[in-house]
Amino acid sequence: MTSRVRMTNCCLWAAVCLLFLYGLPAWGQAQAPTSAPAPAAATPAKAAPAMDAPLDVKAAQPPSTDDLTAKGDPGGTATGTVSDVLVSDAKKGLTLADVVNQVGQNRIAVNFVWTLICGFLVMFMQAGFAIVETGLCRAKNANHTMMMNFMVYGFGLFAFWVCGFAIQMGGGGPYSTLGGAYSLTSEHVVNFLGKPWGLFGTHGFFLTGASYDVGVMVLFLFQMVFMDTALTIVTGSCAERWKYLAFAVSSVFMGGITYPLFANWAWGGGWLSQMGVNFALGHGYCDFAGSGVVHAVGGVTALALSMIIGPRIGKYNRNGTPNAMPGHDLMIVLTGCFILAFGWFGFNPGSTLAASGNGALRISSIAVNTMLAGCTGSFGAILYMWIRYGKPDASMTGNGLLAGLVAITAPSGFVNTVGSAIIGLIAGVLVCVSVEFVERVLKVDDPVGAISVHGTNGLWGVISVGLFADGTSNYGGTWNGVTGSVRGLFYGDASQLVAQLIGVGTLIGVIFAISYVSGWIMDVIIGQRVSAEDELEGLDIPEMGALCYPEFALQHQHPVSTGGVAAD
Amino acid sequence: MKIVGVLVVLAGWLIPVVGVAITQSTSVRFALVLLGIAVTLFGIVGVLNKAHLKSAIWKA
Repeated sequence: MTSRVRMTNCCLWAAVCLLFLYGLPAWGQAQAPTSAPAPAAATPAKAAPAMDAPLDVKAAQPPSTDDLTAKGDPGGTATGTVSDVLVSDAKKGLTLADVVNQVGQNRIAVNFVWTLICGFLVMFMQAGFAIVETGLCRAKNANHTMMMNFMVYGFGLFAFWVCGFAIQMGGGGPYSTLGGAYSLTSEHVVNFLGKPWGLFGTHGFFLTGASYDVGVMVLFLFQMVFMDTALTIVTGSCAERWKYLAFAVSSVFMGGITYPLFANWAWGGGWLSQMGVNFALGHGYCDFAGSGVVHAVGGVTALALSMIIGPRIGKYNRNGTPNAMPGHDLMIVLTGCFILAFGWFGFNPGSTLAASGNGALRISSIAVNTMLAGCTGSFGAILYMWIRYGKPDASMTGNGLLAGLVAITAPSGFVNTVGSAIIGLIAGVLVCVSVEFVERVLKVDDPVGAISVHGTNGLWGVISVGLFADGTSNYGGTWNGVTGSVRGLFYGDASQLVAQLIGVGTLIGVIFAISYVSGWIMDVIIGQRVSAEDELEGLDIPEMGALCYPEFALQHQHPVSTGGVAAD
Repeated sequence: MKIVGVLVVLAGWLIPVVGVAITQSTSVRFALVLLGIAVTLFGIVGVLNKAHLKSAIWKA
């Protein structure tokens, strides 16, 4: 008992120290004198060379091809010189226009490569989600859970290509960092309360016509893997009792309609993003990389469907007390958490859609914020579980890491490192409290804790932008059409917090309602839940036709009463 | 009860959305958005989830 009191005191001191540290930079910023703009240098005007006039490139000393042929370039100093700049007219030689075009294409090329590689990292997160969820489920359902995670990629991608991308991004362009993507500039708008409300995009279906464009393809790939992340959240909360056909239909609907709608409102020029322009609410709803758009959409959909499907057989006793149903492989759970943490470096820094220009060098700050929040998230969870239950719970520590990462996703581009550490720490504690609330008060069965990790902490991430955004980010001078940097309540803009809370209300109001009604209709038409016999046998044979571990003799599992400690 | 629950959830969303258009005051907007979130949460937890728990499988 004494050691617990000591630990509680230590935690309190740690929290006080963190708050103090957080206050220092904010105070320092408030006291710092505003630097006066430097006077313009009085340089004599020179006549600029004509764009199409040949340039004298002798001064650049291009390497001799004879030297390169004979010696190579082991030091790398003779590779990538003036000789490599493309010339449009060989007779005329290199002109200023050639150089300027090359500079422009290089900038866009850097942004393309950056965004694509980040998209590839996010795609790999699917593997992390798959093994985290499968490890937290029982062995008799491993094939079923793995196959949901495997095919959610295909179902979601297909729906997003058909209509999801057009609904989401069809009206959000042009995207200057990706060379324009000029075809994506058609948003369906209605007038309501005297203001225009963008509801969905109307260009880009099947990526045909003017959407057959290199910039649009980059954007599609990056947004597609984000959408798939949202879909895979639901497979975790509904695992071990979800009919595979219902999962397939539900995933297509979510990838084609539900997710793109909210993503349009937040990222595609829709009404939430325009709250700043239309109603003077800060910079409108700001969600840098998707705590709300990706994680909370997945989390509230998971809540809606878990309520409809109901808990697993044996999860609750007749008096409503919960039983722990431990997963079958903690090793792959924690390995999956690491894979996810790795993929998150694509998720957040990649959301600049640029590595060159428009303030995109902030990618370093975003990456550090991401790793810090994940770290403090795991601290928060491990401390909570250690103090409350006397042991550092492994799966909840993993969930704490993910909770921190989820929470920092929206604010990662707007906050400083102290802010991100606090956001992550709160997320780590919040996920533990939320798991207990969902399990014991709501009595909603969530085998992997997806509702708490992604739903609760997605919403916390959205709110935290309205609190901790420090006003130092500057992505091209404006955000959501409002000039200047995003500032939260602690940095002087209370209206930004209101915009964020309206986003929260939309997530738990509209997105939850759409998910619930569509899930309910599907339940009536095709049925969401497997039969009790199939569920007791395990879904690998009845639903998938093959065991994940055919050489293992699986024990018949009885629920173990633990006084209600969450399995996840 | 489920339909009522969905309607309460949507009503909670409408409160702040209409609220931002009828007032310029940040504090009033803040109060309205909190009220809206509370109504929506009541719709989810107090109405919809309660309706599902009435026929929960573990009660059978």
